[in-house]
Amino acid sequence: MAEGSENKGKPLMLVAVDDSEHSFYALEWTLDHFFAHGTNHPFKLIVIHARSSASSALGVAGFGSVDFMTSLEADMKKSTGKTVQKAKDVCTSKKVENVEVEVMEGDPRNVMCDAVDKHQASLLVVGSHGYGIVKRAVLGSVSDYCAHHVKCSVMIVKQPTKP
Amino acid sequence: METKVAEQAVEEQQGKKKMRVMVAIDESEWSFYALKWALDHLFVGPNDKAGVAATREAPAVSQENVSMATLVHVMPPFYNYVLPAGPGGAAYYVTPALLESVRKAQEDGAADVLSRALEICKDKMIKAETLILRGDPKDMICEATEQSHVDLLVVGSRGLGMVKRAFLGSVSDYCAHHAKCPVVIVKPPKESGKPPKESGKPPKESGKK
Repeated sequence: MAEGSENKGKPLMLVAVDDSEHSFYALEWTLDHFFAHGTNHPFKLIVIHARSSASSALGVAGFGSVDFMTSLEADMKKSTGKTVQKAKDVCTSKKVENVEVEVMEGDPRNVMCDAVDKHQASLLVVGSHGYGIVKRAVLGSVSDYCAHHVKCSVMIVKQPTKP
Repeated sequence: METKVAEQAVEEQQGKKKMRVMVAIDESEWSFYALKWALDHLFVGPNDKAGVAATREAPAVSQENVSMATLVHVMPPFYNYVLPAGPGGAAYYVTPALLESVRKAQEDGAADVLSRALEICKDKMIKAETLILRGDPKDMICEATEQSHVDLLVVGSRGLGMVKRAFLGSVSDYCAHHAKCPVVIVKPPKESGKPPKESGKPPKESGKK
C-alpha cells in the first residue's frame, strides 16, 4: 500500500501496553502529541503487548491438571485479545491508521528489551505506576527496568496526579 | 468557505503539535547528545515534511508549527564559606573578591554551555529559550518543569551501572521518578559510551532490579 513506502526510513517508536490504565494513558498521550494529524507522522508506530505464559502464571508445574492449564490458557488468550482490540480502538479513535499491534510472550521486561533490539526502535514509550521507592523495590517496575536496560531512548509517561 | 475550513484545520494542527519541551543541559557530552537527539526526533522544524504540507494550505502560518524548546541549566549551590581541609577546624570566611571571581566563573561556565546549546538549536532551526537556575540539579529541574508547565522533559543518561548510580546519584533517575510530566531519557549511542555493567549478564536472567 502507499502507506508502506511513506513509512520507510522513519524512526520507529514502540509503545508498551498491558492491561493497566497507565499504559493506555501513555498510548493516548503519545498519539495526541506525536501522531496528531494527517498521514505524515515523524515516527512509525508499533504497539507491543507482553503476555505472560500460562505456565509462569501457575508457578510450580506439578500444580494443576491439564484441563486447568488449557482453561487458563484460553482465559489469558481472551484477555490478551481484549487488550489488543482496545489498543487498536484507541488508535482508530485518534484517527491513526495502520498501527501494528504485536503480542510477545514472556516477562514484560525482557519482551520490551528484545522488541527494541528486533525492530531497532529509536524510542520506547512506557507508562508508569507512580509507585514510591518501597513499592517499586518490592513489586518491581517494568518502566524502571526498561529505562536502565533498553538500548534506545525511553519515554516514561505518567498520569497527572489528581489534585 | 473553503479558506475558513483550511484555517481551522491549521489551527487544530497548531494546537496539537505545539509541545513545550524542556531539555536539561550541563557540561557533559551526554546532555548535548540528548539535546541533538531531541531536536532531531521530537521537533517539527520548518524544513520537516509536515511543515511543508502545512505551507501548501496556509503559507503565512507555517512558522507557527515549530514547537519551542526550553534549555535549562542548573548551577550547583554556592557557599559563602570554605571549610579548611587541613588541621584547624574553624571555617574561614573567604574574601569577597575571591567569592565574586568564583561566582563569575560559574556564571561564565553556564553561559558558555548554554550558548553552545543555542548554537545547536539554531543550526536545526528550532526556537529555544534558556533558563539558568542555581541549586540541587535534581530538585531544580523538577520544579522548573512544574512552574513552566512543560509537556515533556528530556534528560541525558550517563549509562551508569546500578552500584555507581547508588553512590554517585543520578539526576536522570530522580527526574524520571519525580517529575510530574513525561520524561525522555536519551541514552548515548552504543559506539561511544561504555555499556553499563548489567548488559554483561544474559537478558533472560530474571531478577529484581
